Amino acid sequence: MTITARSVAPERVSLDEAPRYTPVKRRRRLLPLRLRRLQDRLVAYGLMLPSMAVFVMFFYIPAAYLIYISFFHWGVLSSATKFVGLANFRILFHQPLFFHSLFTSAYYTLVMIPATVLLSLGIALLLKEAVSRRSRGAGIWRSAVFLPHVTPVVATSIIWVWIFNPHFGLANFVLTHLGLPALGWLESVHWALPAVIIDSLWHSLGLYVIIFLAGLSTVPRELLEVARLDGAKRYYTFRRIIWPLISPTTFFVVLLATINSWQAFSQIFAMTGGPHGGAGGPAFATTTDALLVYQTAFIYEHFSLAAAMSVILFGIIMTLTLIQKWISDRVVFYR
Amino acid sequence: MAAIAMKNVVKCYGKAKEEAAVKDVSLAIDEGEFVVLLGPSGCGKTTILRMLAGLEDITDGELWFDDRLMNHEPPDARSVGMVFQNYALYPHMTVYENLAFGLKARGVPKAEVKQRVHDMVALLGIQAAVDHKPKELSGGQRQRVALGRALVRDPVVFLMDEPLSNLDANLREQMRLELARIHSHVRVTTVYVTHDQNEALTLADRVVVMEGGRIRQVGTPSEIYESPADTFVAGFVGSPGMNLWTLRWEDDGEGISLDGALRLPRSFRPALEEVGATVTVGIRPEHLGMSLVKADVKVICRAEFFENLGSHTQLHAHLVASGTDSSVHELLQPDSEQSQLPYPSSQSRDSRRLVARLDAAASADPGEEMVLTAPAGAVNLFDPVTGIRMGEQSREYINASQRYLPA
Repeated sequence: MTITARSVAPERVSLDEAPRYTPVKRRRRLLPLRLRRLQDRLVAYGLMLPSMAVFVMFFYIPAAYLIYISFFHWGVLSSATKFVGLANFRILFHQPLFFHSLFTSAYYTLVMIPATVLLSLGIALLLKEAVSRRSRGAGIWRSAVFLPHVTPVVATSIIWVWIFNPHFGLANFVLTHLGLPALGWLESVHWALPAVIIDSLWHSLGLYVIIFLAGLSTVPRELLEVARLDGAKRYYTFRRIIWPLISPTTFFVVLLATINSWQAFSQIFAMTGGPHGGAGGPAFATTTDALLVYQTAFIYEHFSLAAAMSVILFGIIMTLTLIQKWISDRVVFYR
Repeated sequence: MAAIAMKNVVKCYGKAKEEAAVKDVSLAIDEGEFVVLLGPSGCGKTTILRMLAGLEDITDGELWFDDRLMNHEPPDARSVGMVFQNYALYPHMTVYENLAFGLKARGVPKAEVKQRVHDMVALLGIQAAVDHKPKELSGGQRQRVALGRALVRDPVVFLMDEPLSNLDANLREQMRLELARIHSHVRVTTVYVTHDQNEALTLADRVVVMEGGRIRQVGTPSEIYESPADTFVAGFVGSPGMNLWTLRWEDDGEGISLDGALRLPRSFRPALEEVGATVTVGIRPEHLGMSLVKADVKVICRAEFFENLGSHTQLHAHLVASGTDSSVHELLQPDSEQSQLPYPSSQSRDSRRLVARLDAAASADPGEEMVLTAPAGAVNLFDPVTGIRMGEQSREYINASQRYLPA
C-alpha cells in the first residue's frame, strides 16, 4: 500500500506546487588562524595522550626512579631512605662478581652478534633463493624458522636443558656418535655459557631472519641481473652489491642483537636455575649483568645496589649504541 | 659482434602452451645490425630480450649466437651487455666503479680497467661525473652511465630494454641521437625494445613488430610504415595509425565504389576480385588531402572537428555514403554477412572513423560533407577476415617464420 501511495504521489503534485529545495548555507564561524593551529595541536596531543601516558607511567617514571634510588640506601619495605651519593657505585667497583658478570655479558654479546648476523643472513639468503627458484615448501620453511621466536623462552629452555643433559641428552648423543668427546654442558664451567648461547640463538634467529629477508627484498632484482651479466660470481655479487645495500638492515640487526644480548635473562634463568643450583651457575659461569641485577634485587634484596648496576648497564648499552651509530654513519649506505 | 638466430622460440611461464608469452618466434639478426622489437605492452618483446640475455630460460626452440647454441649458457658466458629501463646502476658505487665493476669481476688487470673506463667515459662525454654516485646525476647522465657499463666490456650483443622511457621528451630525442651516434661508433649487434614507434623508426636498421607473443612483421622502418603486413601493424605504426575501413565494393563502370563512400580507379579490380565482396582499405592520414586536382581516390566524409597542431591540422571525421545522410556503418545491416566476420580485435575499431592530416589552413564546419583525395599508391588492401595485406607482401608474410630463419 505504501508503495502505491508513493508512486501516485508525484503525479498529483504540479510543477508550481513542487517543493523547492534551497541549499542550506552553513555559516561556520571560523576561528582566527592562531587559535585554529592551537586547536589542531591540542587534538594531536589528545590522540597521543593514551600511549604517552602508558610510556610515562610504566617506562619513564620507573627509569627515573631507578636512577634516583641508585643514589640512596633504599628498601622495599623499609621506610628509611638515606642518601648515600655514589656509595652504591663504589661498592660495585669493589665487587669482583660484578666485573665477572660484565665480562660474562660481554662474552655472551660478542659471540651472539656475529653468530646472529652470520646465521640469520645465511638462512635468509637460502630462503630467498628457495623462493626465487619457486622451490616447494619455501613458505613452510620460512614459518618454521620463525616459529621458535614465538614460543615461550622458559618452555623451550627446559627442552634445551634436556638436550644438554650430560648423561642422556641429545647433544652428547650426537657428539659421541660423531666420535667427539661428551661435554658437561650446563654442569661445566666452560660449556654452560655456550649452551645458553646455542639456546638463545635458536630462539632469536627467526626474528633476525625475517628482518634480513625484508632487507634482501629491498635489493632491486635488476641490480643482481646486471651483476650476473657483468660476470660477477655469487660471492662477488654478495660482497660488492648485496652486503653494502643491506647494510642498514645489518646495522639494525647488530643494534637489536647487542641490546637483547646485554639484557639476556629469561633463558639463562630458566636453563641454569632449578636442579643446577641458583641461576647463573655453575660457579657464576652464566651470571650475566642482567641476572646479577635480578639476584641482587630480589634474592639479596639490595635494591639500591641493583639500581646502580642497572644504571651502569644502561650506560654500557647506550655507549655501545652510540659507537655503533658513529660507525654506521661512516659504513652504512642509505639510498 | 655476433649474429643472432632464434628458431621457433617459445616461452611459457605456466604449464599451458596457449598462454605462452612468446609463441614460436623465429628471427635472424645480422652481425652489427640494430634491430628494434616494437609492440604494445605484454607482446613478449621484453621476454625475448631477457631470453637473449640468459635471464629467462627458453621453454622451447633454439637460440644461436653465431655457431654457438646459447639455450643453456648462463648470462655471464654470453658476453651480452644490457641496459635496463630504470638504468639499474649500482647506487652505492661511483660512476667509475659502476663502469669498472664488470671488468673487475672478470679479472681484467687494473691498468686495462682504468684505460677502458677512461675511453668509455670520453666516448659518452661524462668526464665530469666520474666520481659521482648515481643519485647525484641527471637522468641523461645516468642513461649514459648505463650505456657505458654495458658497452665497456665489449659485448658481442647489446640489449636495451626501453632505455629512454624514463626521460622527458626533449632529453629522449637528444639521447636517441646519442644512441645512433654510439651505435655507429661501436657497431655492435643491438636489440632494442620499445613501444615508442618514433624510436623504432628512427633508430632501427630493421623493426620487428610484435603482438600477442608473435612476430607480425619484420622489415626496414620504411617497409613497416609504407607496406604494413597486416591491419595490426597498419594501425599500430604511425601516429595516428592508418585509417582502416572494411567496405563492400562494386564496379559501376566508371570506377570502383566502396559503399558509396570511397572511389577507387578500376585498376584495383583484379586485386579486389582476389579478396571477395568485402575488403579492408587502409590509407594513412597524411596521404589524405583536399586537393582540387583530379585525384585517383576519393573519400567522402562528414567533418566532426579539427585539431590545430601548429604545422598542420588534424581532421576527425566519419565516412558517409555519397549523396545520402546515412553513414556507411548504418548501411551494413547487423545481420549481414560482413558483421559476422571474425575480425581480430585490432580491426574492431569503429569502422567509420577517419583521421586526416591536412594543411594548417584547412577548415570546414562540423557536420559538413567533405571530399578528400589520395593518390592510388597510398591505398593498402587487406583481407577483411585475416587482416593480412593483399598481394605479394602477404604471401611473404605468411611464410615469415621461414623467411627470417638463417640458412
